[in-house]
This record gives sequence, C-alpha cells and structure tokens, in this order.
Amino acid sequence: MRAAAAVSPRSLAGGPSLSRSGLVLGGGLVLLVAAAVAAVALGSTSISLGDTLGILGHRLLGIGSGTGWSATSEEIIIELRLPRALTAILVGGGLGMAGAAFQALLRNPLADPYIIGTASGASLGAVVALMLPLLAPGLALGAGSAWLGIGLVQVLAFLGGVGTVLLVYAVSRSARGGAVTLLLTGYAVSSILAAGVALLMYLSGSRLGAIFAWLMGSLDAGSWPKLALAAPLATVSLLLLLSRWRRLNVLLLGDAQAAHLGVDVGRERLLLTMLASLATSAVVAVAGTIGFVGLVVPHVLRLVAGPDHRLLLPASVLYGGALLTLADVGARLAGGIPVGIITALVGAPFFIWLLVRSRRVEALA
Amino acid sequence: MAGIRQRSFSVLAPILALLLLLAACGTTQSTTLSSIGVATSNAPTAAPTFPVTLTDDAGHSVALAATPERIVSLAPSNTEIVCALDACDRLVGVTDFDDYPTSVKEVPKVVIQAKVDVEKVVAARPDLVLAAGNGLTPDAVITQLTGLGLKVLTLYPTDLDGVYADITLVGRALGADAAAAQTVSGMRARVAAVTDKLASAVRPRVFYEVSVFEGSIYTAGKDSFLASLISLAGGDPITGDPKSTAIQLEDLVAADPQLILLGDASYDPTLATKDKALATVRARAGWEGMSAVKAGAVVPFLDDVVTTRPGPRIVDGLEALARAIHPELFGG
Amino acid sequence: MTGAAIVGAGDIAIANDLAFGYPLTGGRRREVLRGVDLALRPGELVAIVGVNGSGKTTLLRLLSGVLAPTGGELHLFGRPVAAWSRMELAARVAVLPQGLELPAGFRVGELVAMGRLPHARSWFGSTGQDEAAVERALRDADALDLASRTPDELSGGERQRVLLAMALAQEPELLLLDEPTLHLDLAHQLAVLETIRRLRHQRGIAVVAVLHDLALAAALAPRVAVLDGGSLVADGSPDDVLTPELVRRVFGVQVEELFSADGVRHLALIVPGEG
Repeated sequence: MRAAAAVSPRSLAGGPSLSRSGLVLGGGLVLLVAAAVAAVALGSTSISLGDTLGILGHRLLGIGSGTGWSATSEEIIIELRLPRALTAILVGGGLGMAGAAFQALLRNPLADPYIIGTASGASLGAVVALMLPLLAPGLALGAGSAWLGIGLVQVLAFLGGVGTVLLVYAVSRSARGGAVTLLLTGYAVSSILAAGVALLMYLSGSRLGAIFAWLMGSLDAGSWPKLALAAPLATVSLLLLLSRWRRLNVLLLGDAQAAHLGVDVGRERLLLTMLASLATSAVVAVAGTIGFVGLVVPHVLRLVAGPDHRLLLPASVLYGGALLTLADVGARLAGGIPVGIITALVGAPFFIWLLVRSRRVEALA
Repeated sequence: MAGIRQRSFSVLAPILALLLLLAACGTTQSTTLSSIGVATSNAPTAAPTFPVTLTDDAGHSVALAATPERIVSLAPSNTEIVCALDACDRLVGVTDFDDYPTSVKEVPKVVIQAKVDVEKVVAARPDLVLAAGNGLTPDAVITQLTGLGLKVLTLYPTDLDGVYADITLVGRALGADAAAAQTVSGMRARVAAVTDKLASAVRPRVFYEVSVFEGSIYTAGKDSFLASLISLAGGDPITGDPKSTAIQLEDLVAADPQLILLGDASYDPTLATKDKALATVRARAGWEGMSAVKAGAVVPFLDDVVTTRPGPRIVDGLEALARAIHPELFGG
Repeated sequence: MTGAAIVGAGDIAIANDLAFGYPLTGGRRREVLRGVDLALRPGELVAIVGVNGSGKTTLLRLLSGVLAPTGGELHLFGRPVAAWSRMELAARVAVLPQGLELPAGFRVGELVAMGRLPHARSWFGSTGQDEAAVERALRDADALDLASRTPDELSGGERQRVLLAMALAQEPELLLLDEPTLHLDLAHQLAVLETIRRLRHQRGIAVVAVLHDLALAAALAPRVAVLDGGSLVADGSPDDVLTPELVRRVFGVQVEELFSADGVRHLALIVPGEG
C-alpha cells in the first residue's frame, strides 16, 4: 500500500478548482452586466449615458428626482431598449444552457438546441401564423391584434417546437435506438417540416419579408408582455435543468454505467430533452430561430472550463446571454438587420478558428 | 403633444393593453377594406371637429383627440396622400423610398430599406402614424407602436374606391375634409374622362409584366388592384395566381396576349427601349409564338411607380396605362 | 443443486428459477438464461465462470437490477427486484464494468465523486460525508495518489483502479465485477484479486466476479458457479466444482489436477503435442 499523497479532501470530491470556477463565472457576470448596459445605452437615437443611468435609477430603483430628461428618452429606454435587452439575455442564456444539455444528451459536441426539431417545428408554426391572413382570412381574427401583446405567432411557434420534439421522441423510441436514432429522426422530421415551410414561403407573396425576418431570428419585437410570457417558462425549465447537473455528468460515463450509478436513463433523457426543449421553444417563440449561440457558447466553454456541468450550465447562461445582447447591439447599430445574421457571421468563423487552434495544440502535445 | 403616454412597466401595462384591445375588438374583425372609414355622422364637407373615432382598413378603431400636427408615414403612398391634402409640412418621419413631392426627401427617415426603426418613430413624437396594411408594415410593428400608445391608422386600398376612401379617411383624421373631397373629386373626374372615351373600344388582351426571373413570371394577380386598373384602362388583363402573382408560361402562352407592357423596364437595361425590349422578349424560349411578340406589340412601361403606388397619383398610372393600351384614343 | 430458496432477512440476493431472454422481432425471445437458482449471503465471494455467451454478463446485469427478469423471481436485499427504484438499488449495488473508458476533462477525484450520486443530498455541493466516502473509496482501491490526474494520463491498470473507486464510492453491500482482469497484465491481475479479498474482509462487501481464467477463479473464490448454455450446472467450492470431467464437458478442454507441496490443488491445461 503506497503512502497517501497529501491531497486535501476538498480537491478530491469538489469540482473544478474554486479559482477557475470563480474566474469563469465572475467573468461571465461582468460581461453580462456590461452588455446589458451597452444594450440600454446605445441605439439609433442617441441618449446620453447620464440620462440613461438616471432613467434606470429612477424607474428601477426609485432613486433620483425623475426629471432632467425628455419623456421620449424615458419611453425609449424603458419601453423599447430595456425589455429588448432583458429578452436578449433570456434568449441567449436559454439557448446557451439548452445547447449544453443537448450536447451532453446526444454525446455530440456539435449539437445545438434545434437539432431534434425545435427549429423546424417552431418555424412551421410561426409561418402558418404569419400566413393565416392569406390562407384563411376568416380565421385571421385581425391578425395584427394580439392578446396581452402575445400574438398567434408566438403561440403557434411554441406549440410547433414542443410538439415536434414530442413527435421525434416518440418515433425514435419506437425505433428503440439511443442517441443516434434520436439525431437521425430529428433530422428526418426537420426536413419534412422545412419543406412545409419552404412551400408556404413560396406561396407567401407579400408576407415573405416578415417570414424571412422571423426565420433569421430577431429581437425587434421584444416587449414587456412577451418577456412576461417567455421568462417564467424558460426560467423554470432552466433552473430544473441546472438542478440535474449531477445526472448530466453521469450520463457522460455512458448509458450503461449511468444506469449502474442509479440513473433511469430512458426517463432521464426524456426529462432532460423536454426541459431543454421547453426552454428553447419558449425563447424561439419570442425571438425566432437565432443560430450559433446554442452551439458555440457551450462548446467553447467546455474547451475552456471543462465538461463539469455544475460549472458549464450556469456559465453557458451568463456567456450566452451576454453574447447575444452584444450581438443585438451590433445588429441594431448596423441598421436593424436580424440578429441571427450577426450570430452566424461572427459565430461561424470564430468556431472554425477554435477548431483549428485546438487541433494545433493537440498536434503539439 | 398627444400620443405618448407614460406607463409603469409593471403588471398594469398588460391589463391596460388588454382593456384597449377589448375596446378596439368591439368593432368589425374584418381585415379587408372597410369601404367607408368614417364612423361619425358628420358630412364630409362640414368643418372638422375633434375628437373623432375612425376605423382603419385593418378594422382597428383609432381615437384622435385633436388635430394631428406631427405625422409619421410608413409608406410612400401614405406620404403622397398627406401631401395631397396640403399637410406636407406636418410630416416628421417618412421612408427612404419616398420621392414625391421632392420636398419630402428632406424629412427625417424612420423607415430605412423597408425596416421600421421603432426608436426613431418614438423619438419623432408623432401624434398620428400612417401604416401600410397587408403586412407591408409588419403586423408586429403595428402592434408594438399601438402598444406604446401611438395612434396608428393602417391603410390598404385594393381598388380605386379604396383609394378614395383612404384619402377621405386621412382627410378626416387631419381635419382636412375639404382638401380630401377636392382631391377625390378631381381624381374621379380624370378617371371618368378615361373610361368615357373607352366606351366602345375593343379590349386587347394585355399582359403586364411585373418581373421575369429564372423561369418565374410575375404579373398582376387575379382580382388585384393592378388588374382592375388595366381593365379600367381598356384592356383585358391576363392575370396570375391571386396569392403569389405568378403565372406559368404555359398559361401565358394559352392566354396569348395581344399587348405586353413591361413594368420592369425601369430596372432592366435590356428592356429600356422598344427595340431592345422586343429583341429580349423574342429571345425568350416559348414567347415568340405570342400574338404580341409576332406583332411587335411589346412596350416598355416606365410609369410603373405611379401605377403600383396606391395614392393620389394612381390616376396618373391609369392614364399612363390608357395611353399604352389605346394610343389611338389617348395620344400615346 | 439447490432447490427453491426461501428469502431470509439479510440475504443479499435470492434467485428462483431465474430466466432472461432478449426480445426479438415478432415477439419471440432469444433465451440467454434459464432456471437459475442462486442464493447470496452478506460478505460472500462468488466467481462465475463459463464460456462466452453462456450468460455470465446477463446474470450480472440481472443481479444489479439494471435488467428485469423475463422469467422466475429475483429478490434483492429482501424485496423483489421490481420493488426497488434504480437509485435505491444503486445505493446498494455497484458494478465494475468491462471497458476502461473514462470521459476526458474530469480529474480522477471528480470522477470518483460521481459515484456518490445515489447518496447525494445537497443540490450544489458535496457534503463532508461525500468527501469522506470518496477518500475512503480511493484508498480502498489503492488510487489515492491518482486523485488529481486526468484519464489520458492513466495506464490500463490505473483506470481499473479508478473505476473500482467509483464503484466503491457508492458504498455498496454488493459489488459486481465483470471480467476485472481482462485487459491487465499478470501483476495487475493479481493486484486486483488482492484488492477484492481485502475489500471483503475489511468492508464486508459481498462480491460476485465474472472471470474467464479458471485458475484465477479457483484461487480467488471460495465458491464457484459454472454457467453452461444459460443454465447453472454447478455451484460450490472450486475443488468440488472444477473437476476435470466438468471442465471437459463445459469448456471442451482437458485439464489435469496437480497438487503442489502445500497441498493446494491446481489445474493444468493439457495442450496436445505436435504430430
């Protein structure tokens, strides 16, 4: 029996070293706050930073006299930029964590939250809603109006996303396969739904611009009512997902070993899939299918901070939220292009650079 | 300065919005034209009185407390209507496509490349916003602007009567009923002048080309505004699918147009002159057999803007169509 | 041959006429195990031997509760196996799997801590109890000095020890080992056997080990169970069970009994000469 090395109990059972966790999470928090401030302070109308902070302080914290700036500035900050910034944080954070969960579930570091059909299902729902005035005028119900600020588009997008995941899961279960079957079924179902979307786009006439903008993903329609709808659902799903970090770690050992450690693998996969898909569908419903955030953020964080989900999940929320918020600032300042275009233009090259860099490091080792 | 209300962003806001919408939804739900938009009983030529409640083309009920002094237009046709009513100087926001009259080019742009910049709209502090229907101003934007407390009138005329009704509606909204009535009667007179001359004229089969691209052909949709104008101008329009406005080449060949008007001539150098246009069209596979092509009746139509912009100058478009279809009657 | 055994309090496992078949298309089954009667008491050490495909791994998976029997009964820790939840069983039964894969990016200490899942109480951290259990598991598996290494730095034998520590972190009453000597060189094979003996004596864990090497099985375990074509054909002490006739019948090879100077019986494989 060899002499035991002097290893502290903390480092035996604890997670990644405290300092590394602290650095990652602290950095994420700082970035998030900076992004949020930028998102509220910058826009196509220039409002001074002093006024911005004064308005925020007055309306959110009740400090300050409430005068010194125009009502318009306050309107823009509080009714336009603030809900939009918070929506960006929610959507980016939600996509980040859902992406991390799917990458673990499917044991594929290139998985994203849309991979098993959420995107195509939500897209079909949204496009049907956008096309309803053309397809069935009687059903349109004054499609421009909305109940509590939530329109038919959000409802059908959410139902489409969730419904598709359930369908894909049911089909792959009956085929009795594991992660690969789920992926393939998701791909097949997504293709069918995408063809449906393409057909509707072909028939769309004047609606094509609106449809395209939705598919690219944008935060233009960020508003308090939409936030009030999406936030509780997404937040609860994400918190539940976060609480299952141990099981996500254990699933990395493989299905057989995970079962030996007490995880009911079939049930756990379903639960995790549903939680991640609910969060994804909730954010897609309000922002469209914004790409790359759910793929790049958790992937990069895993390379930097390791695969331990106790750190990876919260970090994905912070960095995902921060990055999407910054991307949206860029999108707005570039003339209001859909933020999905920015995330793709920035995300893809960055991802390639990372792959190349990690390859080179491997070759040197 | 009416129009922008302060609200706290707490629970109150959705409740207020709900109450507003319930009130609005009390009226008709139809998304098609409500032919006469004036809901009050005032005769159009009476002195303008405020407050007034109007119903727009999307069925929304809009209440105006006082004469709007700051107007934002989200479509070129709306801008032209405002200017026709002598209220050009009240415009505080327009689109970057607006080009008539030339003075509007000086007005700040709130719509850039067809994208409505909501911040700029809000910053302009309008007390009336004129939007375009049928999704041309996205429904989400209309909802957002209404949700911020702005007064938004959505206009979507689908025929000449619709344009008259919209001009009357905007006149009512701006307190410019007299100017509206004058504009409309002037337009009616010019239209009558055209249709009277056409009483016994023969109607050629007319194909109006909106665009041709990679095997897809786009024209006036069945029962569309453009089709009705071509009819009024003395032609028998060949029309495409009412939703996509596309027409299959087979169907076009079967319909055999006697006159082809190239509405895309302003944008395509190969169609810019009659000779070039004829050569280009003749070279298209399957087109050479059409009567129009054989007879050389392929005409660049450069007045597409006024023909497709549903504002006061639509009559210019009608007259241009009439000149193109019946040069013998209208000295084209 | 044991008849139907009565479940006693404190028994680790009782199998009565246990059977298992893998489902095929058309509702049929491929029978892998049939009519197995087995009783396991606390602290017992049993080696299971048999040719490939005789159902050894299947029996192990049934004993861990991961597979459900398709025939007969299985009681674990006094209750029918179906009455236990996955997590409850994992707090009592641990498995050392055949493969040696470990996910990259975790340090050994973190991997072993994953074995605490069935006992985990706190949402986000680990309790003092968890940390103590992890340290003890590493010590028992002789892997304490590996705690801060990562899997890519480990040799086959070291990985084996890590996986063993992970299993021991579950604080099991029953430890199931699936071919624990498969990829190891001779010295490490013996070391594994030493560890198993030590665990049994120090922690009172019942151990069931599937082994392909008859000599090791005979040397290690006071009790050997032989599977042949899915049936249990012998169950008892190595001397009684591993006779040359049985070995010829079940394994198809000739062995000869040899007795060393200290009276220990050994089996020698008879290899046919050339010509």
